[in-house]
Amino acid sequence: MTADHRQDTEKQVRRTALLLGCVALAFYFGFILLGVLNA
Amino acid sequence: MSSVTHQQPPDAEPHQQHGPAKGLKRWIFATNHKDIGTLYLLFSLAMFFFGGIMALVIRSELFSPGLQFVHPAFFNQMTTMHALIMVFGAVMPAFVGLANWMLPMMIGAPDMALPRLNNWSFWILPVAFCILASTLILPGGAPAGGWTMYPPLVLQTGDAFPFLIFSVHLLGISSIMGAINIIVTIINMRTPGMSLLAMPMFVWTWLITAYLLIAVMPILAGAVTMLLTDRFFGTSFFLAAGGGDPVMFQHIFWFFGHPEVYIMILPAFGVVSEIIPTFARKPLFGHDSMVYAAASIAFLSFIVWAHHMFTTGMPLTGQLFFMFSTMLIAVPTGVKIFNWVATMWRGSMSFETPMLFSVAFVFLFTIGGFSGLMLAIVPADIQYHDSYFVVAHFHYVLVPGSVFAVMAAVYYWLPKWSGVMYNETLGKVHFWLSAVFVNLTFFPMHFLGLAGMPRRIPDYSTQFADFNAVASIGAIGFGLAQLLFVYMIFQCIRGKGRKVSAAVWDNPKGLEWTLPSPPPFHSFEEPPEVSEGAAFS
Repeated sequence: MTADHRQDTEKQVRRTALLLGCVALAFYFGFILLGVLNA
Repeated sequence: MSSVTHQQPPDAEPHQQHGPAKGLKRWIFATNHKDIGTLYLLFSLAMFFFGGIMALVIRSELFSPGLQFVHPAFFNQMTTMHALIMVFGAVMPAFVGLANWMLPMMIGAPDMALPRLNNWSFWILPVAFCILASTLILPGGAPAGGWTMYPPLVLQTGDAFPFLIFSVHLLGISSIMGAINIIVTIINMRTPGMSLLAMPMFVWTWLITAYLLIAVMPILAGAVTMLLTDRFFGTSFFLAAGGGDPVMFQHIFWFFGHPEVYIMILPAFGVVSEIIPTFARKPLFGHDSMVYAAASIAFLSFIVWAHHMFTTGMPLTGQLFFMFSTMLIAVPTGVKIFNWVATMWRGSMSFETPMLFSVAFVFLFTIGGFSGLMLAIVPADIQYHDSYFVVAHFHYVLVPGSVFAVMAAVYYWLPKWSGVMYNETLGKVHFWLSAVFVNLTFFPMHFLGLAGMPRRIPDYSTQFADFNAVASIGAIGFGLAQLLFVYMIFQCIRGKGRKVSAAVWDNPKGLEWTLPSPPPFHSFEEPPEVSEGAAFS
């Protein structure tokens, strides 16, 4: 495995993790917002 | 598997030397997927016994009519805590432990993609459980309103309430971080040549499960945050007196809760899909259809939640929609059962302990599935709701379903992890005791429910006495049988037993079997070479 390939994988790992973390946070606050709108 | 070659890099020797840290540091600062997998599995085992003791308190109280041992309020605390601990502390961490151990080895990766996050995911768990368990010694006792935490009842919980909410938040954070790690690892770190569709079924089911976790755990967290603000900050999300809607909580909870059921069963499907082909000595029948079936089950799990709420009242159209969508789940589940049976059909079968647990899983999970179909029928559900029939149903899905799959997985992979074979005779004794006692415990509950015995009660009418006594005897027997399981696990950890080869079993499929038993501290220093189209399960 070359250094370039390793760096590329690390970048993809960070990108995917951040994306999924943002999705989880969006769901959390989204559902609370749903509760606020429903109240 | 002949298409796989495992190449060690020229500098493999020095890498192998920086093995695990010594002493307690190895476990506290663990970043190695195998160490974290071991931590998860041992934690889960401890929680099985902690939650199991609570189950035995429940069954002892219900051994005969009348109040025997515990106060009714404490009985309610036991039912609530038993459920929370078994769901979040035993079953879910057991599958995460298996994922940690096996996923990197199955996809040819050196470790999980985010090892430090992995460490956090695990260590949050014991903290959350200390917080939850500490409520047992608080004034007013532990939460007693059921694991579903329905308002307004849950808002009447004493000092334990904020502890409950905080621990559920921590459990959610742990699960989400674990799920992110699993998805990132599977998407980015597969060995070159392993296409998505070619992945082993255990990897596939975990990928789908991880997406489910990310989709629904934040919803549970949002719901309990709103409970917290209702109790302490004057909001009225779920309080009718302030214009809120308590039924809204039930909708949100079950929008999390039903996919949660599949979070606990999909990895079990993956385990069984690995084991049956090995002991039938045939490739898995319909691998791709199994993947599509698992994805279909995951999708359908989002549109069936209100079948838990038929008795709260809803329009006829809603009842029909949720009844039919629930019944639809039987189709992809049927595909899976068919494929497992077709894999065994005309196979050269042998019945080692993992296979025994897997075959029992197929039979007994199907019983739980069928009673689920009965509960999906609206007019019947109105009769069965909150009765012991429901208790029988979900215990058939979770005990001879999920728990048997965990046991099958441990027997299947323990020789790989430890390098020694467990005692096969004792394994079979453990299986038969578990299989007999699990049915003795839960099958009579169907009759009790149909006869009208409600769930979550410490006392009951004398007409229910006989079946309750049988169920209690079964529960005690099942609990004692698990001591054999613990004995065998610790014998293997201590290295007592016959040494095993890398393959362990008779020509199993998958990259994990190309590594020595036990595998080296760093699994694949370099990605193994696999040819396109190679079969991995």
